[in-house]
Amino acid sequence: MAQAGTVRTPPSRRRRSAAGQRLIFLVLLLGSVVMIVPFLWMLATSFDWGARLNITFPPRLWPEEPSLKTYKAAFMNVRMLRYIFNSLLVSAGVILVSALSALLSGYALSKLRFKGSAAVLLLALSTMMIPFEMTMIPQYLLFSKIGLIDTYWAFYLPALNYAFGTFLAKAFIDQLPSELREAAIIDGAGELAVFGRIYFPLCTPIVATMVILLFLGVWNEMLWPLLALKSASKYTIQIGLAMFTYNNGLNHQPSIIMAATTVSLIPVVVVYLFLQRFIIESIALSGIKQ
Amino acid sequence: MPVPTRVKAVAGRVAARRHYFTRNDWMGYVFCAPLIVGVLAFAVYPMFAALYMSFQQTSGMSLSGRWTGLSNYRYVLQDPVFWQSLYNTVYMGVLSVVLGIILSFILASLINSLKGDLGKNFFKGIYFLPNVVSAVAASLLFSFLFYPSREGLLNFVIGLIGIEPVGWLTNPQFSRLSIVLMSLWGALGYNTIIFLAGLQSVPRDLYEAAEVDGAGGLAKWRYITIPYLRPIFGFILIMGTIGGMKRFTDVWLIGGTAGNPGGSLMTCVLYIYRNAFLASQMGLATAASYLLFVVILILTVLLMLANRRRNSFG
Repeated sequence: MAQAGTVRTPPSRRRRSAAGQRLIFLVLLLGSVVMIVPFLWMLATSFDWGARLNITFPPRLWPEEPSLKTYKAAFMNVRMLRYIFNSLLVSAGVILVSALSALLSGYALSKLRFKGSAAVLLLALSTMMIPFEMTMIPQYLLFSKIGLIDTYWAFYLPALNYAFGTFLAKAFIDQLPSELREAAIIDGAGELAVFGRIYFPLCTPIVATMVILLFLGVWNEMLWPLLALKSASKYTIQIGLAMFTYNNGLNHQPSIIMAATTVSLIPVVVVYLFLQRFIIESIALSGIKQ
Repeated sequence: MPVPTRVKAVAGRVAARRHYFTRNDWMGYVFCAPLIVGVLAFAVYPMFAALYMSFQQTSGMSLSGRWTGLSNYRYVLQDPVFWQSLYNTVYMGVLSVVLGIILSFILASLINSLKGDLGKNFFKGIYFLPNVVSAVAASLLFSFLFYPSREGLLNFVIGLIGIEPVGWLTNPQFSRLSIVLMSLWGALGYNTIIFLAGLQSVPRDLYEAAEVDGAGGLAKWRYITIPYLRPIFGFILIMGTIGGMKRFTDVWLIGGTAGNPGGSLMTCVLYIYRNAFLASQMGLATAASYLLFVVILILTVLLMLANRRRNSFG
């Protein structure tokens, strides 16, 4: 049917549709320029020693005085390496804790039909509605009372509560056959072995999704680090960057700030460039699942 | 005697069930323990603690103080700064959600109508890229792009068509709009991806049936695509509204804790942050956070109801 339809399409209409394709392409290209120009301006300014004190006129997409001195100044003024290391540490810890908590509970809720499992799922999912902005004050007071403010435990411990991950893991494990578990149990395997040796390896796709979503989330997080971290040596990248400009004034030293910003973007952009298809699929999946 | 027998039978059944289920039950609790501890300690406890604190007059960094009933709520509701912050938050939230939905739906439709995966993936990749940029980085970058004199890129561009430089982030009339433009740049790709996933799920035969009836491209878009994607419109509307009500990082970095210029960038979360961590008014701040929660809850429920009623394809 479709074939026949294509054959019978009159040439004028085909030409019109080709023109339409070209028009759509043009519009999308124009929009892409708007999306990309801020990045180009950032890169150009970050390499422009001429913009170390003030931004240049006219605005340039190519540095006036190309130089790497801006990056050197950025690394000397903002402790970027330290902050990046801290952020990687926090990300790794949060990913480990959250993914493990989500997988264990997702597996249990999917395959072990235990008493109260419906209640656990309901509790976890309904607390996803509670905004962090409301719980942050008691959470801050809790951590300062037990003396864990200004330590990374203030990130690792709340990571236990990853209800969305539980939901993702449960939905994924629901699709895996229960017979695997039953057969292994009959053969005398313990529950932990069943999870660790049989189901966990099958969960790689959903683990990858969680790792990416968590990494992007933790790397870009700002509000809780602002509250929980007091000493500058413990700052994560966002808070380090924000505090530098906050203390120095917002529009000062454009090239140094843009160099530091560029460096802060490298990890996420690299991850994005390599895993672009996968990230976009994860986002679409998480959007639709919610 | 019927009673003892029945008791014995029930006891037997319970014992049997316990014997049969124990292993499973306990393993279930052990596996869920990290989640349950996390949820109780970092969602349920703080929620009730915040409620308790909102009725207290606290001093310094303390959880409890003097019971003052509703006076925190009364203070917040009589504070013009709170109303200003609510107005600003809703203003920026509504504008960015509405503009974001319209633009990203058009974008997604255009990308979806491209022939060939190469172009589709290329544009998906480009439009989504700003989404991985943190709010801090975006704010720093746009504070330069929105520079108030003619050196700023945006003022330079509008200067080319003869418009005088605008104080994008320094004039209270424009500051909220500028924040909206900035967040559109960041969020457009996310919504577009979600819309695209939805567009690809529209059954082909609906379009074919419409073509048989002689419908053109725009008619198909209007009468099939849009009604079919209503749940996705609803989802983006709800998530966007919730996200918009929590605006903090960009306005904090650009406007400071006073929400400058002229308090036009004071948002609800900034108000909460300011009262809790600068003025050490924890009770007041938790009362404000509960009010914000109630506003978010009401908006969410309203949008969900509206969305359910309008979902024409089931």
